[in-house]
Amino acid sequence: MTDKYHTLQLLKQMLGTEAQFRPGQWEAIEAVAIKKQRALVVQRTGWGKSMVYFLATKLLREQGAGPTLLISPLLSLMRNQIEAAERIGINARSINSDNQQEWSEIIESLQGNKCDLLLISPERLNNPDFLNKVLPGISGNIGMLVVDEAHCISDWGHDFRPDYRRIVRIITIMPKGVPVLGTTATANDRVVADIQSQLGQHLLILRGPLDRESLRLQSIRLPARAERLAWLAHNLHKFTGSGIIYCQTQADTECVADWLVERGFSAAAYHAGLKGDGDRLALEQAFLNNEVKILVATIALGMGFDKPDIGFVIHFQCPGSVIAYYQQVGRAGRALEKAYGILLVGEEDEEIQKYFIRTAFPKPEAFLDVLQALKDNDGLKLYGLLDRVNISKAMAEKVLKILEIEGAIGREKDLYFRTPNPWRYDHDRIEQVLTLRKAEMAEMQRYVDHSGCSMSFLLKALNDPFAGRCGRCANCKEQRLPETVPQTLLTEANEFLGKIAIVIKPKIQVSADLLPERVGRIPETYRNQPGRALSNYGESGWGKIVAVNKYENGEFSADLIRASVDLILNRWSLDPMPEWVCCIPSSRHPNLVPDFARTIAAQLRVPFLSALRKTRHSPEQKLMLNRSMQAQNVINSLEVTGKIPRGPVLLIDDIIDSGWTLAIAGYLLRKAGSGVVYPFVLAKATGRTG
Amino acid sequence: MIYSADSQVILSLCSHLGLSSQSDVSPLSTREWNSVARRLYANTIQPEELLHIETSQLFDLLDQDEPLIKRITALLSRSGSLAIELERLESLGIEVLTRADTDYPVRYKQRLKENAPVLLYYSGERALLGQPGIAIVGSRNLDEIGQLAAQFVGNACGLSGLVLYSGGARGVDNLSMTASLEARGNAVGILADSLEKTIRNPEYRNYLEKRELCLATPYSPSASFNVGAAMGRNRLIYALADYAIVVASDFEKGGTWAGATEALKAKWLPVFALQHEHMPLGNTKLIERGAIPFPYPFEGHYSELQVWLHSHSPIPEDDSEQLSLFS
Repeated sequence: MTDKYHTLQLLKQMLGTEAQFRPGQWEAIEAVAIKKQRALVVQRTGWGKSMVYFLATKLLREQGAGPTLLISPLLSLMRNQIEAAERIGINARSINSDNQQEWSEIIESLQGNKCDLLLISPERLNNPDFLNKVLPGISGNIGMLVVDEAHCISDWGHDFRPDYRRIVRIITIMPKGVPVLGTTATANDRVVADIQSQLGQHLLILRGPLDRESLRLQSIRLPARAERLAWLAHNLHKFTGSGIIYCQTQADTECVADWLVERGFSAAAYHAGLKGDGDRLALEQAFLNNEVKILVATIALGMGFDKPDIGFVIHFQCPGSVIAYYQQVGRAGRALEKAYGILLVGEEDEEIQKYFIRTAFPKPEAFLDVLQALKDNDGLKLYGLLDRVNISKAMAEKVLKILEIEGAIGREKDLYFRTPNPWRYDHDRIEQVLTLRKAEMAEMQRYVDHSGCSMSFLLKALNDPFAGRCGRCANCKEQRLPETVPQTLLTEANEFLGKIAIVIKPKIQVSADLLPERVGRIPETYRNQPGRALSNYGESGWGKIVAVNKYENGEFSADLIRASVDLILNRWSLDPMPEWVCCIPSSRHPNLVPDFARTIAAQLRVPFLSALRKTRHSPEQKLMLNRSMQAQNVINSLEVTGKIPRGPVLLIDDIIDSGWTLAIAGYLLRKAGSGVVYPFVLAKATGRTG
Repeated sequence: MIYSADSQVILSLCSHLGLSSQSDVSPLSTREWNSVARRLYANTIQPEELLHIETSQLFDLLDQDEPLIKRITALLSRSGSLAIELERLESLGIEVLTRADTDYPVRYKQRLKENAPVLLYYSGERALLGQPGIAIVGSRNLDEIGQLAAQFVGNACGLSGLVLYSGGARGVDNLSMTASLEARGNAVGILADSLEKTIRNPEYRNYLEKRELCLATPYSPSASFNVGAAMGRNRLIYALADYAIVVASDFEKGGTWAGATEALKAKWLPVFALQHEHMPLGNTKLIERGAIPFPYPFEGHYSELQVWLHSHSPIPEDDSEQLSLFS
């Protein structure tokens, strides 16, 4: 019985007697399990890479090898995959932060040599519990290392992840006899060459065609958000089955999902801001079971997320590169005859992508400041660091992550310390990558305006040697979904955007030495009530009007006042109602906010009081980049003046950034004897995150 | 760092890396490894080849009992988790030398023979290990003369380009090491305490980063201090240096006494003992047993220290070995 025949029988056990190898599957299995090579497989998602590593694991286990370690950004394997593996006696487990209660059982099965494949996230390789408890439990060697989404190894890749550097170093240290299998669906020649240079020239490259034969592509330019919302409401019912709508920001996923739910669609927002892996897993599961039909997601929707019957992938905004777009749109139609990939292009897309590029790499000063702070101190925790360095928490986390991966700092639990390894900021490399990112953005725009075959444009950008005219896309077939929207829907979408109210969560945690109480939390009685923002700053609708009014007109318009009063009275259910109004003073625009607040107070028929004043000319709050600096800046510059009424107060400001000004102002008002404090602002400045 | 295949096998067999603390498999002791290594040598087999030999053949080849062969097979089969652990150490600034590495200190093999540590974990500049230099030893609690002497020797080493060898602990070690480094010289510390913890000390980290210092230990980098370890590493300080100076020793107790008498007996290098009016009893007794008196305060200029030590050293018995030390 040849190896190939034997493996085919195993495949049939997993998938049924009709099953045959897909082109390239056997070659990949043979490379790692028989020839013990290191191989990189470039195949479209849905091609069946999991079959490859299950079968290769089976063959290796039959030869007496240890379990396979599968490193993947996926949180866990799909239930149907685990079941398929079980049919050939492969016990596949995953370890993640959400299943700690299973760890000891998994360790036991590893020790008893009963676990055949263990899935971990790249971050896990950095986790002391994993290193000390789980890893040593692997009795016998790691039989094979599988690196899923291997393009993340390359910083030329659209989705470079620092954690993957560690994988590369481990592979370099590992003896040559351990087979390594990298898999990716999105690697162009440049990325493949980079992976090859990092993993060794002996790496065998196995490339397949990337075309997805069910996919029908179309791009539509619709500048305003409202137009795109209207387009969705107008066209979504034409698609059968379930689908994904990709947005570039968390706020947009929430907004689009709310709109769709209001229009009667079964939709939910999915992004990294959802609490915990658990919520995200639950949502993924609901989507897999078709309990949720439309997932409105950021790219946080895990790479390799595999649902075979996705009928459409619509982009609400344009992604930053053709590769990213191919990867996201490629989620559609894996096991369907027909699926749609619609790219809606908005006016804000370029701005968002530029922001992503701008913030992709922390500035050299951020690295140097963090290193200096760690050098001056015998180890620091994150918040200790933020007390000393003026960078945002997100940026600090990014800096720490990169420095840790590059060996410049070490970590013991949550304490970071400098290691003796030398470190320098790689200017040239970063400049090169940024230039590449800009070129990718430009290529994406060419895709949007391309009049030839859309699919072939994507495939050529991915250096697919099999690329040809698809005959299915809107350009090939000259059959298009409408590119304009009905006026009535557009009006409704505009009204919807006008009504969005954003909840401002009260601040609780503070640095221990900030308040005279010397505690790490604002005492409960001095905390604000949840507040409201009328809009997201700068976004079309109220957000744009706030920006124009503030910086060009010098006063807030009657429309904004009307919308604000409407929100406060009709859409906020305040109880008890505010009995007076005050506002945050500003030395730069001394009358802008007080005038606005006075008008609001008049309309609410309650008094306005100038209860807060500036103690000194402090730096603009938006220059303070983390909460320690922000809170410190406010507490030094605000004080309460005059007699404070005992009733509930509406505290008004124009734009909320970090939220510390309102939190500290509320704290001061409560301490001076005021009733509960309701913060209200015209716009929330949005940090753009995935 | 790329570990050679031979080194990887030695690391799998002899290190605790990638083994859980409750593991029923323990790594080979130096003695056990020596016995395996002798068999490999006799059969002209490289350690690397152990990976490709069937268990059944291992019995014949290694001539060991079954439990040991079983341990060897179990230990060898963990190269994957070993690689992950080695990578973690590397990211903290720690690497490992094995006896199979060309950079492994020659003096250990020459002087300690089979007692040379199989593994040496280190951080900083490994090329310093075995460079011409002076070892300084003594208890942690020093009188004032001892402190001044430690600083003088460290300073002299630093200024005259000699490596200062010590145990990297508090007291005499730290004083002399810091003196050498601050004089823009080099130092080597052979630790009995956790290497992982010690290199986080900001005082040392800077010099490690500039590669003016090397901290090394034969023990697992995360293992914390124990007395046995402190005893065992003393010879590793002596065995790297050209001269040793005992600053202060108790009599017939403590690691300093044990290490100094061992070094005197083994004749690895000339051993000096600090001599002054209030010297501890241990110093007197060491001088009685053959340690060369080192009068303090030193009468000459610091730059004359090396010449002074040389001219007061006995003529080496074994020319071939000693010559290589001065070449």
